[in-house]
Amino acid sequence: MLPESAELVFFAAFALAFAFVFAPAAAPRRSLLWRGGAGLAGTIAIVAVPTFELVLLTLLTLGVLNAAADGKQPFALRLRAPVLAVAVFALGLVLARAAGPEVLDRFAAVGLVAGLAAGIGLLPYLHPFDPDDAVTGSPIAWMAFIGPALAVVVAGTRGLVPAEAGGVFGAMLIGVGLLNVAWGGVAAWLTESTVAAWRYSFIADWGLALCGFGLMVVDGRRAALLVLFSIVLCRLPLYLASPQSQRARTVTERPVNLVVAAALAGSAPFAGFAARVLLLRGATQLFWPLGLVLALGMLLWLPGSLRLGRSLGVPRGRQALGVALVLALNVAVGLYPLPLLEAARL
Amino acid sequence: MFEAGAALVAWLGMSLIVLADGRRSLALGAALATTGVALVVFQGAGLIDAGALALGGAVMVVRRLTDGPVGWQLMPPGSTPRLVLCIAAGLLALWIAFSVTTGAGAALRFAVMTVVGLGGARVLSSDERSVLLTSVGLLALAIAAMAGMGDASQGAWPYVAAALVAAGAGWLPVRAPNAA
Repeated sequence: MLPESAELVFFAAFALAFAFVFAPAAAPRRSLLWRGGAGLAGTIAIVAVPTFELVLLTLLTLGVLNAAADGKQPFALRLRAPVLAVAVFALGLVLARAAGPEVLDRFAAVGLVAGLAAGIGLLPYLHPFDPDDAVTGSPIAWMAFIGPALAVVVAGTRGLVPAEAGGVFGAMLIGVGLLNVAWGGVAAWLTESTVAAWRYSFIADWGLALCGFGLMVVDGRRAALLVLFSIVLCRLPLYLASPQSQRARTVTERPVNLVVAAALAGSAPFAGFAARVLLLRGATQLFWPLGLVLALGMLLWLPGSLRLGRSLGVPRGRQALGVALVLALNVAVGLYPLPLLEAARL
Repeated sequence: MFEAGAALVAWLGMSLIVLADGRRSLALGAALATTGVALVVFQGAGLIDAGALALGGAVMVVRRLTDGPVGWQLMPPGSTPRLVLCIAAGLLALWIAFSVTTGAGAALRFAVMTVVGLGGARVLSSDERSVLLTSVGLLALAIAAMAGMGDASQGAWPYVAAALVAAGAGWLPVRAPNAA
């Protein structure tokens, strides 16, 4: 098991515990525990199994179980993305393992990146989404819970393709990442539904993580790990702490809303800021115009984050405690991320 | 030659699943595809691994015979695109497995690519639960068969896990969408 994978399992377990303790009182705790526990078990299986075939079988099983569970969308529709991901991964793996011309390795890289995007639910393979879906059955929970473990495992399979195709693999990750940064950032700002805005903000964050994985320098991996941290232990808990009902949503502009918006936007001193600095440094080492494009893309977080911060309302009681805990954790990691990175041997 | 024949049986079974909607056709298609994949795996991996796949597939076939739309429903009206898909996918996989790629295991590559490709396409184009779960089960068997392509032996675990997925998928309770 990769050290970063073990860290991600720990993050996921912490997020589940947070959801159980601090989610709004209306949230069904029993369903949260069962389905969250199943998701956590799946995450552990994805990072712990020794072969990529077993990773694919785990992903397939999780996808089928998730599609079969309660939800607004039909089973067939919810099943399509995970099956597509597994099929594309499998075809990529066949090409990666076969001997033949060099172009096969490039197609294998395409299969791995396309499978990753479909498996997480990123552009161009967005999972079907209904704002009224329960949190546990929503693609948001999938991409924040299962997605990080899958991404780390797939990024670790870079060795499956030769070094020449490894460059293609990285370039495609960066391309797909930039697409998600742009689309997610603009959509989180302009979409009508607040729940959909939360979903697009996750997609934008994922874009940064993919860019980090795509950079062939250690700063890129470090940035990706910190972005995943901020997805699992900043954006997800804040999403869970926000009122889940459309009717219950209120727009407030208290200082706490601005602080939450700053955390979501990746401002200093939160963890997202350290991730962005490392990402820009890595991109500049590789190809400086990429750093410029990323810096421009990062500006797209501002309007969407202000909107999401305001949608949180004024947290009270248990929720206020949860929000404070998340913000404190993110400040700590943002100011001193070294222990987290050293634990992942990065 | 034996391996190539087995791979063609797998393609035939998957084509049957793509072309039909009834439980009997799906069961026959699943039986053929499982047999083809298991025979290809038997040549490369051994009896226990192939046996695990065959057992998982057999449980899936039994379940399919008792669940899903009745009868054969082979090539219902509007099936021409499905037929074209089966032939085109078979030819493309044949070309890649035997001509573009080199080295041993061409039959295994062909079997895996046809089962994964056609199974994935069937899931994307169908709404019927029995069709979806049959395709998922066969996809799992094909993924396990890929273990034979690696340089290092992976043991029996992928085959056993795939057999469990294939056998269990048919019994999965699927709730109707909660549109309220």
